[in-house]
Amino acid sequence: MIVDLLIQFLLAMAGTLGFAIIFRAPLRRMPACVFIGGCGWVSYLITVNCFDSPILGCFIASCLVGLMSDIFARVLKDAATIFIIPGILCLVPGAKIFYTMEALLKEDFTGTAEIGLQMLLMAGAIAMGLLVMGAIIRVVRTAIRTFIA
Amino acid sequence: MDKKRQKEILILAIKAGKIMMKSGAEIYRVEDTISRICLACGIDHVNVFAMPTGIFVSINIEDEDDTVTYVKRITGSETDLRKIAEVNRFSREFTTTDLSVKDGMKMLEEIENRKPVAFPVRGLAAAVVTGCFALIFGGAIPDFFVAFVAGFGAYAFSRLLQRSEINFFIRGFLCTAFTSICALIAETLIPGVSYSFVVMGCIMLFVPGVAITNSIRDFLSGDMLSGLARLTEAFLIGISLAAGAGVVIKLWTMTGGITL
Repeated sequence: MIVDLLIQFLLAMAGTLGFAIIFRAPLRRMPACVFIGGCGWVSYLITVNCFDSPILGCFIASCLVGLMSDIFARVLKDAATIFIIPGILCLVPGAKIFYTMEALLKEDFTGTAEIGLQMLLMAGAIAMGLLVMGAIIRVVRTAIRTFIA
Repeated sequence: MDKKRQKEILILAIKAGKIMMKSGAEIYRVEDTISRICLACGIDHVNVFAMPTGIFVSINIEDEDDTVTYVKRITGSETDLRKIAEVNRFSREFTTTDLSVKDGMKMLEEIENRKPVAFPVRGLAAAVVTGCFALIFGGAIPDFFVAFVAGFGAYAFSRLLQRSEINFFIRGFLCTAFTSICALIAETLIPGVSYSFVVMGCIMLFVPGVAITNSIRDFLSGDMLSGLARLTEAFLIGISLAAGAGVVIKLWTMTGGITL
Protein backbone atom coordinates (compact mmCIF):
# COMPACT_ATOMS: atom_id res chain seq x y z
CA MET A 1 0.00 0.00 0.00
CA ILE A 2 2.63 2.51 1.09
CA VAL A 3 4.99 1.31 -1.63
CA ASP A 4 2.21 1.62 -4.21
CA LEU A 5 1.45 5.14 -3.08
CA LEU A 6 5.11 6.05 -3.22
CA ILE A 7 5.40 4.74 -6.78
CA GLN A 8 2.24 6.65 -7.78
CA PHE A 9 3.65 9.76 -6.10
CA LEU A 10 6.90 9.51 -8.08
CA LEU A 11 5.05 8.81 -11.34
CA ALA A 12 2.72 11.77 -10.79
CA MET A 13 5.74 13.96 -10.04
CA ALA A 14 7.43 12.83 -13.27
CA GLY A 15 4.20 13.49 -15.20
CA THR A 16 3.86 16.94 -13.68
CA LEU A 17 7.48 17.67 -14.52
CA GLY A 18 6.69 16.87 -18.14
CA PHE A 19 3.68 19.22 -18.12
CA ALA A 20 5.76 21.91 -16.45
CA ILE A 21 8.35 21.69 -19.23
CA ILE A 22 5.72 21.68 -22.01
CA PHE A 23 3.99 24.72 -20.51
CA ARG A 24 7.39 26.32 -19.95
CA ALA A 25 7.20 26.89 -16.23
CA PRO A 26 10.18 28.90 -15.00
CA LEU A 27 13.05 26.57 -14.11
CA ARG A 28 13.31 27.86 -10.55
CA ARG A 29 9.64 27.11 -9.89
CA MET A 30 9.71 23.56 -11.22
CA PRO A 31 10.45 21.80 -7.92
CA ALA A 32 7.41 23.47 -6.36
CA CYS A 33 5.18 22.62 -9.37
CA VAL A 34 6.29 19.00 -9.30
CA PHE A 35 5.75 18.68 -5.57
CA ILE A 36 2.23 20.14 -5.81
CA GLY A 37 1.36 17.78 -8.66
CA GLY A 38 2.54 14.73 -6.71
CA CYS A 39 0.69 15.74 -3.54
CA GLY A 40 -2.51 16.43 -5.48
CA TRP A 41 -2.51 13.00 -7.12
CA VAL A 42 -1.69 11.14 -3.89
CA SER A 43 -4.41 12.95 -1.97
CA TYR A 44 -6.81 11.96 -4.78
CA LEU A 45 -5.78 8.30 -4.46
CA ILE A 46 -6.10 8.33 -0.67
CA THR A 47 -9.56 9.90 -0.81
CA VAL A 48 -10.73 7.44 -3.46
CA ASN A 49 -9.40 4.59 -1.32
CA CYS A 50 -11.15 5.81 1.84
CA PHE A 51 -14.51 6.98 0.49
CA ASP A 52 -14.68 5.14 -2.84
CA SER A 53 -15.71 8.28 -4.71
CA PRO A 54 -13.54 9.69 -7.51
CA ILE A 55 -15.66 12.85 -7.54
CA LEU A 56 -14.96 13.61 -3.88
CA GLY A 57 -11.32 12.69 -4.56
CA CYS A 58 -11.07 15.29 -7.31
CA PHE A 59 -12.67 17.88 -5.07
CA ILE A 60 -10.32 17.28 -2.12
CA ALA A 61 -7.25 17.06 -4.35
CA SER A 62 -8.05 20.26 -6.23
CA CYS A 63 -8.67 22.03 -2.90
CA LEU A 64 -5.23 20.91 -1.80
CA VAL A 65 -3.63 22.00 -5.08
CA GLY A 66 -5.36 25.39 -4.81
CA LEU A 67 -4.22 25.88 -1.24
CA MET A 68 -0.62 24.79 -1.85
CA SER A 69 -0.39 26.91 -5.01
CA ASP A 70 -1.57 29.97 -3.15
CA ILE A 71 0.93 29.41 -0.33
CA PHE A 72 3.80 28.88 -2.78
CA ALA A 73 2.67 31.90 -4.82
CA ARG A 74 2.80 34.10 -1.74
CA VAL A 75 6.08 32.76 -0.41
CA LEU A 76 7.85 32.85 -3.78
CA LYS A 77 6.06 36.05 -4.99
CA ASP A 78 4.81 34.70 -8.31
CA ALA A 79 1.43 34.27 -9.98
CA ALA A 80 -0.55 31.33 -8.56
CA THR A 81 -1.39 30.19 -12.12
CA ILE A 82 2.18 28.96 -12.55
CA PHE A 83 1.63 26.37 -9.82
CA ILE A 84 -2.03 25.59 -10.38
CA ILE A 85 -1.86 24.67 -14.07
CA PRO A 86 0.78 21.90 -13.87
CA GLY A 87 -0.60 20.76 -10.50
CA ILE A 88 -4.18 20.32 -11.66
CA LEU A 89 -3.39 18.46 -14.88
CA CYS A 90 -2.86 15.10 -13.16
CA LEU A 91 -6.42 15.25 -11.87
CA VAL A 92 -8.15 15.97 -15.17
CA PRO A 93 -10.12 12.79 -15.97
CA GLY A 94 -8.30 11.78 -19.16
CA ALA A 95 -8.82 8.07 -18.52
CA LYS A 96 -12.57 8.65 -18.11
CA ILE A 97 -12.71 10.31 -21.55
CA PHE A 98 -11.30 7.09 -22.96
CA TYR A 99 -13.65 4.80 -21.02
CA THR A 100 -16.68 6.88 -22.07
CA MET A 101 -15.64 6.61 -25.69
CA GLU A 102 -14.99 2.87 -25.32
CA ALA A 103 -18.44 2.27 -23.83
CA LEU A 104 -19.96 4.27 -26.68
CA LEU A 105 -18.15 2.11 -29.25
CA LYS A 106 -19.54 -1.02 -27.62
CA GLU A 107 -23.01 0.55 -27.91
CA ASP A 108 -23.32 0.28 -24.14
CA PHE A 109 -25.35 3.46 -23.73
CA THR A 110 -26.01 3.01 -20.01
CA GLY A 111 -22.27 2.71 -19.44
CA THR A 112 -21.62 5.73 -21.64
CA ALA A 113 -24.06 7.84 -19.68
CA GLU A 114 -22.71 6.58 -16.34
CA ILE A 115 -19.00 7.08 -17.06
CA GLY A 116 -19.61 10.24 -19.07
CA LEU A 117 -21.58 11.79 -16.24
CA GLN A 118 -18.89 10.76 -13.79
CA MET A 119 -16.27 12.41 -16.01
CA LEU A 120 -18.25 15.66 -16.20
CA LEU A 121 -18.79 15.61 -12.45
CA MET A 122 -15.08 15.02 -11.84
CA ALA A 123 -14.21 18.02 -14.03
CA GLY A 124 -16.88 19.97 -12.16
CA ALA A 125 -15.44 18.85 -8.82
CA ILE A 126 -11.98 20.07 -9.82
CA ALA A 127 -13.52 23.40 -10.75
CA MET A 128 -15.53 23.48 -7.53
CA GLY A 129 -12.46 22.70 -5.43
CA LEU A 130 -10.49 25.55 -6.96
CA LEU A 131 -13.46 27.91 -6.60
CA VAL A 132 -14.10 27.04 -2.96
CA MET A 133 -10.42 27.25 -2.10
CA GLY A 134 -10.10 30.58 -3.91
CA ALA A 135 -13.07 31.95 -1.99
CA ILE A 136 -11.78 30.68 1.37
CA ILE A 137 -8.36 32.20 0.72
CA ARG A 138 -9.95 35.55 -0.13
CA VAL A 139 -12.05 35.52 3.03
CA VAL A 140 -9.09 34.59 5.22
CA ARG A 141 -6.95 37.30 3.62
CA THR A 142 -9.62 39.95 4.09
CA ALA A 143 -10.16 38.84 7.68
CA ILE A 144 -6.44 39.06 8.39
CA ARG A 145 -6.23 42.47 6.76
CA THR A 146 -9.20 43.93 8.63
CA PHE A 147 -8.73 42.46 12.07
CA ILE A 148 -4.99 42.11 12.49
CA ALA A 149 -3.32 44.76 10.37
CA MET B 1 0.56 65.26 -20.54
CA ASP B 2 0.77 65.31 -24.33
CA LYS B 3 -1.01 62.88 -26.62
CA LYS B 4 2.22 61.22 -27.74
CA ARG B 5 3.15 60.19 -24.23
CA GLN B 6 -0.37 58.95 -23.52
CA LYS B 7 -0.17 56.80 -26.61
CA GLU B 8 3.23 55.40 -25.58
CA ILE B 9 1.92 54.45 -22.16
CA LEU B 10 -1.13 52.81 -23.68
CA ILE B 11 0.95 50.79 -26.12
CA LEU B 12 3.25 49.64 -23.32
CA ALA B 13 0.36 48.58 -21.10
CA ILE B 14 -1.44 46.82 -23.95
CA LYS B 15 1.71 44.97 -24.92
CA ALA B 16 2.12 43.66 -21.39
CA GLY B 17 -1.53 42.60 -21.42
CA LYS B 18 -1.22 40.96 -24.82
CA ILE B 19 1.78 38.84 -23.81
CA MET B 20 -0.02 37.69 -20.66
CA MET B 21 -3.28 36.87 -22.45
CA LYS B 22 -1.49 34.93 -25.19
CA SER B 23 0.47 32.96 -22.60
CA GLY B 24 -2.71 31.88 -20.83
CA ALA B 25 -3.11 34.22 -17.85
CA GLU B 26 -6.51 34.83 -16.26
CA ILE B 27 -8.57 37.87 -17.31
CA TYR B 28 -8.35 39.40 -13.87
CA ARG B 29 -4.55 39.39 -13.94
CA VAL B 30 -4.40 40.95 -17.42
CA GLU B 31 -6.82 43.74 -16.51
CA ASP B 32 -5.03 44.36 -13.22
CA THR B 33 -1.59 44.55 -14.87
CA ILE B 34 -2.76 47.01 -17.52
CA SER B 35 -4.46 49.36 -15.08
CA ARG B 36 -1.52 49.26 -12.66
CA ILE B 37 0.95 50.19 -15.39
CA CYS B 38 -1.28 53.07 -16.56
CA LEU B 39 -1.86 54.38 -13.04
CA ALA B 40 1.87 54.23 -12.29
CA CYS B 41 2.49 56.53 -15.26
CA GLY B 42 0.25 59.20 -13.81
CA ILE B 43 -3.00 58.58 -15.66
CA ASP B 44 -6.05 59.42 -13.54
CA HIS B 45 -8.70 57.02 -14.77
CA VAL B 46 -8.19 53.68 -16.47
CA ASN B 47 -10.83 51.21 -17.55
CA VAL B 48 -9.91 47.87 -19.03
CA PHE B 49 -12.12 45.24 -20.54
CA ALA B 50 -10.26 42.09 -21.54
CA MET B 51 -11.43 38.91 -23.22
CA PRO B 52 -9.46 35.96 -24.58
CA THR B 53 -9.87 37.43 -28.08
CA GLY B 54 -9.28 41.10 -27.44
CA ILE B 55 -8.43 43.91 -25.01
CA PHE B 56 -10.09 47.33 -24.78
CA VAL B 57 -8.43 50.07 -22.75
CA SER B 58 -9.68 53.56 -22.24
CA ILE B 59 -7.72 56.23 -20.35
CA ASN B 60 -8.79 59.63 -19.19
CA ILE B 61 -6.87 62.54 -17.71
CA GLU B 62 -8.87 64.91 -15.60
CA ASP B 63 -7.97 68.30 -17.07
CA GLU B 64 -8.12 67.16 -20.70
CA ASP B 65 -11.04 67.01 -23.08
CA ASP B 66 -10.47 63.73 -24.85
CA THR B 67 -10.58 60.16 -23.68
CA VAL B 68 -8.07 57.89 -25.39
CA THR B 69 -9.17 54.37 -26.26
CA TYR B 70 -7.22 51.50 -27.71
CA VAL B 71 -8.57 48.21 -29.01
CA LYS B 72 -6.24 45.25 -29.44
CA ARG B 73 -7.30 42.08 -31.18
CA ILE B 74 -5.59 38.93 -29.91
CA THR B 75 -5.23 35.87 -32.08
CA GLY B 76 -3.87 32.49 -31.12
CA SER B 77 -2.56 31.47 -27.76
CA GLU B 78 0.07 29.18 -26.39
CA THR B 79 0.49 28.42 -22.72
CA ASP B 80 3.79 29.82 -21.52
CA LEU B 81 3.99 30.08 -17.76
CA ARG B 82 7.41 31.69 -17.80
CA LYS B 83 6.16 34.66 -19.79
CA ILE B 84 3.31 35.15 -17.30
CA ALA B 85 5.78 35.10 -14.42
CA GLU B 86 8.12 37.53 -16.16
CA VAL B 87 5.47 40.06 -17.12
CA ASN B 88 4.16 39.79 -13.58
CA ARG B 89 7.60 40.61 -12.21
CA PHE B 90 7.99 43.37 -14.81
CA SER B 91 4.77 45.09 -13.74
CA ARG B 92 5.81 44.86 -10.09
CA GLU B 93 9.14 46.47 -10.97
CA PHE B 94 7.67 49.06 -13.32
CA THR B 95 5.12 50.31 -10.82
CA THR B 96 7.48 50.50 -7.84
CA THR B 97 10.56 52.02 -9.50
CA ASP B 98 10.70 54.97 -11.93
CA LEU B 99 11.54 53.08 -15.10
CA SER B 100 10.95 55.08 -18.27
CA VAL B 101 8.34 53.96 -20.80
CA LYS B 102 11.04 53.34 -23.43
CA ASP B 103 13.04 51.06 -21.13
CA GLY B 104 9.85 49.25 -20.19
CA MET B 105 9.09 48.67 -23.85
CA LYS B 106 12.56 47.22 -24.37
CA MET B 107 12.12 44.83 -21.44
CA LEU B 108 8.75 43.67 -22.72
CA GLU B 109 10.13 43.04 -26.18
CA GLU B 110 12.89 40.96 -24.62
CA ILE B 111 10.31 38.91 -22.73
CA GLU B 112 8.15 38.46 -25.83
CA ASN B 113 10.97 37.30 -28.07
CA ARG B 114 12.60 34.95 -25.60
CA LYS B 115 13.34 31.61 -27.22
CA PRO B 116 11.26 28.72 -25.89
CA VAL B 117 12.84 25.51 -24.60
CA ALA B 118 14.40 23.51 -27.43
CA PHE B 119 11.95 21.26 -29.25
CA PRO B 120 13.65 17.92 -28.41
CA VAL B 121 13.44 18.74 -24.70
CA ARG B 122 9.72 19.50 -24.92
CA GLY B 123 9.15 16.39 -27.01
CA LEU B 124 10.94 14.33 -24.39
CA ALA B 125 8.83 15.96 -21.69
CA ALA B 126 5.69 15.02 -23.62
CA ALA B 127 6.99 11.46 -23.90
CA VAL B 128 7.56 11.35 -20.13
CA VAL B 129 4.01 12.61 -19.54
CA THR B 130 2.37 9.96 -21.74
CA GLY B 131 4.63 7.20 -20.41
CA CYS B 132 3.99 8.04 -16.77
CA PHE B 133 0.25 8.35 -17.20
CA ALA B 134 0.10 5.03 -19.05
CA LEU B 135 1.68 3.52 -15.91
CA ILE B 136 -0.50 5.52 -13.48
CA PHE B 137 -3.69 4.30 -15.15
CA GLY B 138 -2.60 0.70 -14.67
CA GLY B 139 -0.41 -0.11 -17.66
CA ALA B 140 2.59 -2.44 -17.53
CA ILE B 141 6.21 -1.75 -18.43
CA PRO B 142 5.81 -2.47 -22.20
CA ASP B 143 2.95 0.06 -22.27
CA PHE B 144 5.30 2.65 -20.83
CA PHE B 145 7.77 2.31 -23.69
CA VAL B 146 5.12 2.31 -26.40
CA ALA B 147 3.43 5.34 -24.83
CA PHE B 148 6.81 7.03 -24.54
CA VAL B 149 7.46 6.72 -28.27
CA ALA B 150 3.86 7.45 -29.28
CA GLY B 151 3.82 10.51 -27.00
CA PHE B 152 6.90 11.95 -28.65
CA GLY B 153 5.40 11.35 -32.08
CA ALA B 154 2.05 12.82 -31.08
CA TYR B 155 3.65 15.95 -29.66
CA ALA B 156 5.75 16.47 -32.80
CA PHE B 157 2.62 15.94 -34.92
CA SER B 158 0.64 18.41 -32.84
CA ARG B 159 3.40 21.03 -33.23
CA LEU B 160 3.35 20.48 -36.98
CA LEU B 161 -0.43 20.98 -37.08
CA GLN B 162 -0.09 24.08 -34.92
CA ARG B 163 2.50 25.50 -37.30
CA SER B 164 0.13 24.95 -40.23
CA GLU B 165 -2.56 26.83 -38.26
CA ILE B 166 -5.03 23.96 -38.05
CA ASN B 167 -7.76 24.78 -35.53
CA PHE B 168 -7.73 23.17 -32.09
CA PHE B 169 -10.67 20.83 -32.70
CA ILE B 170 -9.15 19.16 -35.76
CA ARG B 171 -5.76 19.15 -34.04
CA GLY B 172 -7.05 17.22 -31.04
CA PHE B 173 -8.89 14.83 -33.32
CA LEU B 174 -5.90 14.11 -35.55
CA CYS B 175 -3.43 13.78 -32.68
CA THR B 176 -5.44 11.18 -30.76
CA ALA B 177 -6.22 9.41 -34.04
CA PHE B 178 -2.49 9.25 -34.70
CA THR B 179 -1.69 7.85 -31.25
CA SER B 180 -4.52 5.32 -31.52
CA ILE B 181 -3.07 4.00 -34.77
CA CYS B 182 0.39 3.77 -33.16
CA ALA B 183 -1.06 2.00 -30.11
CA LEU B 184 -3.10 -0.48 -32.15
CA ILE B 185 -0.15 -1.35 -34.39
CA ALA B 186 2.06 -1.77 -31.31
CA GLU B 187 -0.51 -4.07 -29.75
CA THR B 188 -0.46 -6.37 -32.77
CA LEU B 189 3.33 -6.37 -33.10
CA ILE B 190 4.54 -6.40 -29.49
CA PRO B 191 3.19 -8.94 -27.01
CA GLY B 192 2.11 -7.60 -23.60
CA VAL B 193 1.05 -4.18 -24.88
CA SER B 194 -2.51 -3.03 -24.30
CA TYR B 195 -3.63 -0.20 -26.57
CA SER B 196 -6.04 1.32 -24.06
CA PHE B 197 -3.37 2.41 -21.59
CA VAL B 198 -1.24 3.89 -24.35
CA VAL B 199 -4.20 5.88 -25.70
CA MET B 200 -5.14 7.04 -22.19
CA GLY B 201 -1.61 8.27 -21.57
CA CYS B 202 -1.63 10.18 -24.85
CA ILE B 203 -5.07 11.68 -24.16
CA MET B 204 -3.63 13.15 -20.95
CA LEU B 205 -1.13 15.08 -23.04
CA PHE B 206 -3.88 16.96 -24.90
CA VAL B 207 -6.46 17.15 -22.13
CA PRO B 208 -7.89 20.69 -21.70
CA GLY B 209 -6.62 21.21 -18.16
CA VAL B 210 -5.45 24.75 -18.81
CA ALA B 211 -8.79 25.78 -20.31
CA ILE B 212 -10.73 24.31 -17.36
CA THR B 213 -8.50 25.94 -14.76
CA ASN B 214 -8.58 29.33 -16.43
CA SER B 215 -12.31 29.29 -17.02
CA ILE B 216 -12.88 28.61 -13.32
CA ARG B 217 -10.56 31.39 -12.28
CA ASP B 218 -12.38 33.73 -14.66
CA PHE B 219 -15.77 32.76 -13.22
CA LEU B 220 -14.40 33.33 -9.74
CA SER B 221 -13.44 36.92 -10.49
CA GLY B 222 -16.74 37.61 -12.27
CA ASP B 223 -15.61 37.49 -15.90
CA MET B 224 -18.52 35.36 -17.03
CA LEU B 225 -18.05 35.84 -20.79
CA SER B 226 -14.43 34.70 -20.78
CA GLY B 227 -15.20 31.89 -18.36
CA LEU B 228 -17.92 30.63 -20.66
CA ALA B 229 -15.68 30.95 -23.72
CA ARG B 230 -12.91 28.91 -22.14
CA LEU B 231 -15.32 26.34 -20.70
CA THR B 232 -16.73 25.77 -24.18
CA GLU B 233 -13.20 25.40 -25.48
CA ALA B 234 -12.45 22.75 -22.85
CA PHE B 235 -15.63 20.87 -23.70
CA LEU B 236 -14.90 20.89 -27.43
CA ILE B 237 -11.31 19.73 -26.92
CA GLY B 238 -12.57 16.84 -24.77
CA ILE B 239 -15.02 15.79 -27.49
CA SER B 240 -12.38 16.04 -30.21
CA LEU B 241 -10.02 13.76 -28.24
CA ALA B 242 -12.67 11.10 -27.70
CA ALA B 243 -13.80 11.32 -31.33
CA GLY B 244 -10.27 10.93 -32.71
CA ALA B 245 -9.55 7.79 -30.72
CA GLY B 246 -13.07 6.44 -31.23
CA VAL B 247 -13.09 6.71 -35.01
CA VAL B 248 -9.75 4.94 -35.37
CA ILE B 249 -10.59 2.14 -32.94
CA LYS B 250 -13.98 1.58 -34.59
CA LEU B 251 -12.42 1.44 -38.05
CA TRP B 252 -9.74 -0.92 -36.78
CA THR B 253 -12.22 -3.38 -35.30
CA MET B 254 -14.49 -3.16 -38.36
CA THR B 255 -11.73 -3.85 -40.85
CA GLY B 256 -10.09 -6.42 -38.60
CA GLY B 257 -6.88 -4.42 -38.34
CA ILE B 258 -3.51 -5.48 -39.61
CA THR B 259 -3.02 -9.20 -39.29
CA LEU B 260 0.40 -10.75 -39.19
